[in-house]
Amino acid sequence: MEWKPDWGLRGRMALTMFLLFALYIAFVGVLSQIGYTSMLIFVGIFFLAQFFFSDRLALYSMGAKKVSEDEYPQLHAMVGRLCQQADLPKPDVAVAQSRVPNAFATGRSQKSSTVAVTTGLLQTLDQEELEGVMAHELAHVKNRDVMVMTIASFLSTVAFMIVRWGFWFGGGSRREGGAPIIVAILVSLVVWIVSFLLIRALSRYREYSADRGGATITGKPGALASALLTIDGRMDNVPKEDLREQSEMNAFFIIPIRSGFIGKIASTHPSTENRVERLRQLEREMEGF
Amino acid sequence: MGLFDSIRSVLGLRAEADATRAADPEDLFGMSTAYLTMEADLGYDHVGAAALCFSSVDSTDFAETLDEVEAILHAGSEETGTTFRRHEDSHGYQWVVLEDNDPEDLVTSIHFAADEFIERGYGSRLLAAVFGFEKPDENVHAYWIYSFRRGAYYPFAPQTGHERNQRVEFKLQSVLDGELGIEDDERYWYPLWPDSRGGHPWD
Repeated sequence: MEWKPDWGLRGRMALTMFLLFALYIAFVGVLSQIGYTSMLIFVGIFFLAQFFFSDRLALYSMGAKKVSEDEYPQLHAMVGRLCQQADLPKPDVAVAQSRVPNAFATGRSQKSSTVAVTTGLLQTLDQEELEGVMAHELAHVKNRDVMVMTIASFLSTVAFMIVRWGFWFGGGSRREGGAPIIVAILVSLVVWIVSFLLIRALSRYREYSADRGGATITGKPGALASALLTIDGRMDNVPKEDLREQSEMNAFFIIPIRSGFIGKIASTHPSTENRVERLRQLEREMEGF
Repeated sequence: MGLFDSIRSVLGLRAEADATRAADPEDLFGMSTAYLTMEADLGYDHVGAAALCFSSVDSTDFAETLDEVEAILHAGSEETGTTFRRHEDSHGYQWVVLEDNDPEDLVTSIHFAADEFIERGYGSRLLAAVFGFEKPDENVHAYWIYSFRRGAYYPFAPQTGHERNQRVEFKLQSVLDGELGIEDDERYWYPLWPDSRGGHPWD
């Protein structure tokens, strides 16, 4: 199964990560000048805790429960085979009672990961489409996307907290006047806005990567494309309350629930049309075009 | 996980890279002597069959590869008498099932078929080679599964109701250790449950 590596995607991914890294280095430089290091450590500890509990938090907020092999033998068998193909230890499998068709993967490492699906997804998709979606989630696990995105957004969160709480925290140089705090808040604001956009771009690139990875695992890019189209079509028919409740989980969903005012540039996922187009391209390459 | 794997993970390339990694099944021939040990030291009969499990690809080239594999096995069957059939299981995975009373021929035929997949660039689609054993009077089925992804063997002893006979698996592991390259991380000992009660994984 030969298809060309997507150098454009790799390049953009590497560039985004480099820019984010450079931005953060500069930010830490400014912060330590002002004397905000204690805050950095404080938020760091908070973040580490979040990282360790992220899988349970995500499952809890979705109302997803881990299910045994006896309860969902077909689903477990499918995940098992896909993991065998992907060279992964089998993650836990969770199911959420929800009519919204969706799936997500959590876990800080390959060993402690969980893939979750909603009952709506199980009802909506046929076996090959479901396989495509599960393989996409397993590709996220393989690429360690939860860890990468958590690390990528660490200093962005710090910047956000300084923008919000900077005046209360003060800083090491308070006795020299209020100017450094204002500077810190302004710098943080810029860092927060720029890093927000970079993180969202990174998230979109990782979706494309997971699509490619998933298609490689199943060998059927078309099945994932058809699953994306099916899910996207169904998304419009579900009640609004559900959508709002789940909006904070968007970053982990296979297709995010869109709220109208957030533009394309701030979305965590690429548009379904773009993803389907890329999967079609893979399918063409498989046929030797 | 090595440094290179970490970098690939961070760049989001690992899933794709690992799923396309080619197989290198040289260790398949280790099964020839394992057949003898299973019979002589452990009292197992071989079931006279072995099978190759793979997932298909939606492409014309893959369909041609399958035809090629069948042609090779067909040519081989005239020499060794190994018969073969194709089968699709309830999970949508494909099997090539080989039947022969000579275990040596089974191993050779499995290797031939696997080699053809690899040469045509579809080594990454190979999931497992499965070799079957039984103790008819005790109603025990046991299998050696070769994982192409891991390049290692593991034992699989299914019981009714999706239970594994861990005592049997442990025994097989300890006796054949050293003779076969055995997967030491048991989280990768993926079951291949038979579709039918008391059947083989490839039935």
